Amino acid sequence: MQLSVKHLLGIRDLSRQDIQIILDTATQFKEVLQRPIKKVPSLRDVTIVNLFFENSTRTRISFELAEKRLSADTINFTASASSVAKGETLLDTVNNILSMKVDMVVMRHSASGAPHFLAKHIPAAIVNAGDGINEHPTQGLLDAFSMREKLGRLEGLKVAIIGDIMHSRVAMSNIYLLKKMGAEVTVAGPPTLIPKYIQEAFDIRVEYNLKKALEWCDVANVLRIQLERQNQVLFSSLREYSLAYGINKRLLDSLNKKIVIMHPGPINRGVELDSDAADSNQSIILQQVENGVAVRMAVLYLLSGGREMN
Amino acid sequence: MQLINNENENLKQKTVSSLNFLRMKILIQQVTITDPSSPFNGTKQDVLIESGIIKDIQPAISVEADKVITGNQLHLSPGWVDVFAHFADPGYEFKETLETGARAAAAGGYTDVFVIPNTKPVVDSKTQAEYISQKSRSLPVNVHPIGAISKGTEGKDLAEMYDMRTSGAVAFSDGLNPIQSAGLLLKALQYVKAFEGTIIQIPDDKSVGANGLMHEGIVSTRLGLPGKPMMAEELQVARDIKLVRYSDSKLHFTGVSAPKSLEYIRRAKDAGLAVTCSVTPYHLFFTDEDLIDYDTNLKVYPPLRTKSDVEILRQAVLDGTIDCIASHHLPHEYDSKVLEFEYAKYGMTGLETSYSAIKTILPALTESRWVELVSINPRKIFGLDCPVIKKEAQACFTLFEPGVPVTFTTASFRSKSKNSAFTGKTLNGAVKGIINKETLFLN
Repeated sequence: MQLSVKHLLGIRDLSRQDIQIILDTATQFKEVLQRPIKKVPSLRDVTIVNLFFENSTRTRISFELAEKRLSADTINFTASASSVAKGETLLDTVNNILSMKVDMVVMRHSASGAPHFLAKHIPAAIVNAGDGINEHPTQGLLDAFSMREKLGRLEGLKVAIIGDIMHSRVAMSNIYLLKKMGAEVTVAGPPTLIPKYIQEAFDIRVEYNLKKALEWCDVANVLRIQLERQNQVLFSSLREYSLAYGINKRLLDSLNKKIVIMHPGPINRGVELDSDAADSNQSIILQQVENGVAVRMAVLYLLSGGREMN
Repeated sequence: MQLINNENENLKQKTVSSLNFLRMKILIQQVTITDPSSPFNGTKQDVLIESGIIKDIQPAISVEADKVITGNQLHLSPGWVDVFAHFADPGYEFKETLETGARAAAAGGYTDVFVIPNTKPVVDSKTQAEYISQKSRSLPVNVHPIGAISKGTEGKDLAEMYDMRTSGAVAFSDGLNPIQSAGLLLKALQYVKAFEGTIIQIPDDKSVGANGLMHEGIVSTRLGLPGKPMMAEELQVARDIKLVRYSDSKLHFTGVSAPKSLEYIRRAKDAGLAVTCSVTPYHLFFTDEDLIDYDTNLKVYPPLRTKSDVEILRQAVLDGTIDCIASHHLPHEYDSKVLEFEYAKYGMTGLETSYSAIKTILPALTESRWVELVSINPRKIFGLDCPVIKKEAQACFTLFEPGVPVTFTTASFRSKSKNSAFTGKTLNGAVKGIINKETLFLN
């Protein structure tokens, strides 16, 4: 079983079969993670650098854990503690690290297309851990994995992605993946946070009314309002956002079915999601986090050239 | 004369294939004359040039010449003019200098180039304009400074345009920082009327899609790149035309890329306004879909449009709505282009690839229409004398071969910078060279 790609730059480049392979491999790794000894020697002697040019806690920890469970050697690099502050270019930074014989690069970067740029210039395999407002492919994969685990299928599933679609790489990867796997997608949020051409670009539905979106869907993937990305006035206040697009238990109970609630984290409690909804039995938010490790193990394992899995 | 001679000696060393022909005899054999003002227009002739002057034009000339030029479907036209290029000198000599820029222009068939004022310091005074005119005197091409409209191209106070005009400024523009304030542009349009000035604008309302990195549309959405709505251009074209109507002045839009802009410009022309426009070769050649690999050479300003927009733009070149071709030659050193798309600088080089790019994309374009676009129209719009191919005329001509393929490589570019999306491409239609002032330049 081999992927058709050398890097994981985005779901955009993956075939349906690639996605299938990754999800199936992740299922096996999830089983490994339930064992008393969670570590496998698959990536022994493989060195991976986690390059984070943008803040991240959960994705970085998840990748690091995945790498350690695969017995890879890891090094961490964060922009604040690096030479980037001294004006070094991305290519120089990465080439310097690679010259110390590093095999794979996991990178998060604030510029869309940064990993694609890197892929053109360096020999190592690259895993995109989020680039600008473009993609966050492992998040898309772990979301799909969690949906499939919870509901048994992706095909025909109705998924609503709610919130700041414009600045969300999670939304992008989810849309690409769900469309490739035959699910139906609606994006919902304030019109100022929904890209003008998204309907035509992906053949999906757009909904500005939260209640209608929730009534339609099987799964609601609620996005974080990215306060750090609001460089223009796109909505009036968090209070008003919460009034129009916040999800709480009362709203969930008013629907005539039990939908699944997901969130890529970290949650702004009381803004896009109230605690009574986030912590309800409809929420699979913590399972998403757990699945993240298995999915990232699968990606790293498959991109390392598919060594013996134990 | 001695001084010019010496400088030409230096130039000869720098430009291998350029020849000083002060007393040289050059015979161009079997060349098709493409010049609407010439009595020989459309005919195949032998042309004899001696000491930079056309001495004879005959169907066949047999004479002992110092240099004989032959070619495959060779054409001769009045020298080509580029109305919007950046030579980055002074201030950014690591990108381009007047010398390397002139070399690139000559290789692209241009005898005349308008250079934008976005240098450091900005060309917003007589001193800066004269620096360019003076320093270019010995170069194989005529470099004309475009003076800034506002001091420092800051869009606040008017620069000394009258003074610059008398020091050689061919037109006025804030170049890459188009004037945003309607009030200021109106004042500028009125002001330049006193000395027959023309304003050049890249139509762009910077407040619309301020963070946009490419054309907003399906492709930008799929690539996860912030988009800039095409409306940013259309709004500015519509607004600026109103200002021209009010001031009864002359305005040239460059880098026009939106079909709606063309519609507005067509209407303005029909109403008798002095509104003209130019388009870049790359806006005709590439579309937003070519950005799929995040190629920073295709990060340009204004952005590349969709396939259907480009199709309309191409038609407008053929039907006469578009008056000129502007290279928007924007040289950038390696480090400004080989990095993340978001951080890369805007623009690509273009002087050397203009003709081949357009001939490839528009095979239906006739040679006479091409000469209108790059030679006749720009001279008419900006009030430059047009050389005519006839006996005793001073040489200021371009030689080109429409049917000859040419491959562009990093090594073949004469510009100091190599940021061209045409690198590695084989295009149809080659420039043979130019004959201008005391120099013959052959590719």
